Amino acid sequence: MRILIIEDEKSLREDVVDYLTENGYKCDFATTIKSALQKLNDAVYSCALVDVGLPDGSGIEIVEHIKQHNPEMGVIIVTAKNALEDKLQGLKIGADDYLTKPFHLSELSARVYSVLRRRNFGGKNSLVFDGLEIDTTEKKVTANGNQLQLTKKEYEILVYLASNPTHLITKEALADAIWGDKADMATSFDFVYSQIKNLKKKLNEADLKNYIKVVYGMGYKFKD
Amino acid sequence: MKLLTKTNIYTTITTVLLFTLGIFIVYQVILRKLDREVDKQLLSAKEQIVKGLNDGISPNEFFSNLGQKVYVKKIDKQTIFGNQFIEYIEKNPEDPNHGTITQRELLFQTRANDKVYEVTVCISLSEGKKIGDYIAVVVLIFLVISVIILFLLNRLISAFIWSPFYDTLSHIKTWNIKKNKNLDFKETDIDEFHLLNDTVKDLTRQIQSDYHNLKEFTENVSHEAQTPLSIISTKLELLMQETNYNEKQHKLLVQTYNATQRLYKLNEGLILLTRIENKQFVETNTIEITQAVNEKLEVLDDFIDSKKIHVEKVFNKTLTKEVNPVLLTILLNNLFINAIKYNLEENGLIRITVDEDSVTVENTSYIDKIDKQFLFDRFNKNSISGSLGLGLSLIKKIIDFYNWHITYSYKDGVHKFKIFM
Repeated sequence: MRILIIEDEKSLREDVVDYLTENGYKCDFATTIKSALQKLNDAVYSCALVDVGLPDGSGIEIVEHIKQHNPEMGVIIVTAKNALEDKLQGLKIGADDYLTKPFHLSELSARVYSVLRRRNFGGKNSLVFDGLEIDTTEKKVTANGNQLQLTKKEYEILVYLASNPTHLITKEALADAIWGDKADMATSFDFVYSQIKNLKKKLNEADLKNYIKVVYGMGYKFKD
Repeated sequence: MKLLTKTNIYTTITTVLLFTLGIFIVYQVILRKLDREVDKQLLSAKEQIVKGLNDGISPNEFFSNLGQKVYVKKIDKQTIFGNQFIEYIEKNPEDPNHGTITQRELLFQTRANDKVYEVTVCISLSEGKKIGDYIAVVVLIFLVISVIILFLLNRLISAFIWSPFYDTLSHIKTWNIKKNKNLDFKETDIDEFHLLNDTVKDLTRQIQSDYHNLKEFTENVSHEAQTPLSIISTKLELLMQETNYNEKQHKLLVQTYNATQRLYKLNEGLILLTRIENKQFVETNTIEITQAVNEKLEVLDDFIDSKKIHVEKVFNKTLTKEVNPVLLTILLNNLFINAIKYNLEENGLIRITVDEDSVTVENTSYIDKIDKQFLFDRFNKNSISGSLGLGLSLIKKIIDFYNWHITYSYKDGVHKFKIFM
């Protein structure tokens, strides 16, 4: 699946490209509206990541272009923090999701996955691993043929981890993904920890060991 | 004490003292003059008596001639002495029970026709004394009237003269550094006040500009720090994706990452505080507070459940407010998170009461009473480790923004925050 990343900030762009590439996507990038429109004409993308603040104008222009010429393509807009206007306008003209800078790379990956799934690219609505299947339409998890009984939060955590396979997910990213900035850090880390513990226990009981690895002090990793 | 009262007291005291001294001196001078006048009369009487005695007039005749009391007696003495003035007080012969009269007499001895006489001439001073007393009383009345007039005049003039000063004072009192408004004083033709006004104007202008520069600097620092902080944070997350670290490197990385996250959150909080201060949350919605409370509690359900805290909701009245939804969320979240975070590990309780004009959050806690003085200070020294120390100051900032009012009390292990909306 090809993803177009339109971002003028070099450092962030490189990180995004590297991270998504490691997650199995093919990534192209553009730094201006002009070059982005050129790339969109030249190739077919499943999803575009659009920064609103570009050197030659507003990224909203690109979103409009995509929605006119290629409406089935997924679009995620990236806005500066607190630019509520941009966010609302972007969603109104058809962006699928938005992220405010700064964001965790794992969060971006999860959003990309979720947009692609909603747009039905890849033809399936489930994440399948060795012995584990997560059906994201029915919100069901099957382990070695048996359905797992997970709480809502456990399910959310599992999907988040699964959409970032082989990457380390920091506890901050996980807490932010589940509660946003609504919760206090220290409190949510404790809660994340206990949720992960329960989740691991349930997976262990279904004979799926080592799917979630705890990296001491840093966070969690899904399937090494 | 007011300046006017103080100057008035001083001038009054000085005037009274000066006048009293004046009266005393005048009185003394009059008495002295009176004595001298009497002495002159006595001496002239003496001359006549001596002449009379030498002329062989019978001493008894002097009474009628002089109109003064004269006592003459012969004495057997060869040596004689000169003039002796004596002043004494005796009972009033006309009314012995009341009052006295002062007598002044001249005692002398003289030789006439080979005989020695001792003569006493006596004059009553009472009349003169009376005149002196009258003068003193008149002066006293004059003094009292003058003091009263001076006092009133002083007040009037001072009030008039000092009015620009009081005007300046009231302007300074109501001046607010946060409101970007220049001071505007009443015109005055008194140099000192003019100078004072100019100095105050310059000072406030300087303070205001310093304040704004400092504020701007703080805001800029927070904003500019945001980007590098997020870059550091992202790069650290990428570094953490590597697996081949030894234990020491791993530990260093974790510590760096944690500190960065903390700094990042802190910066976020500071930016939020600034944005509230700069009135960037002006749009409002009509929000039912009880409903908002329920929604926020639902979001925090996980944390409440994980600590097994019992939540009691007492909604006595529906309370509807015109507020910014973001600010209300921040306010309620911070209140509730504090109530959860610092609650007891077992048998904790949170009670949320909504009344006609207030929201009250009560919670059990493992921390003791908080010192009210520092309760809403940023980064207060007593703040519990692990907290950013911004939560309560955010609460306070939002309450101030809406001109609400918050009270804190502590009783039997229960902390109680009450917000009057």
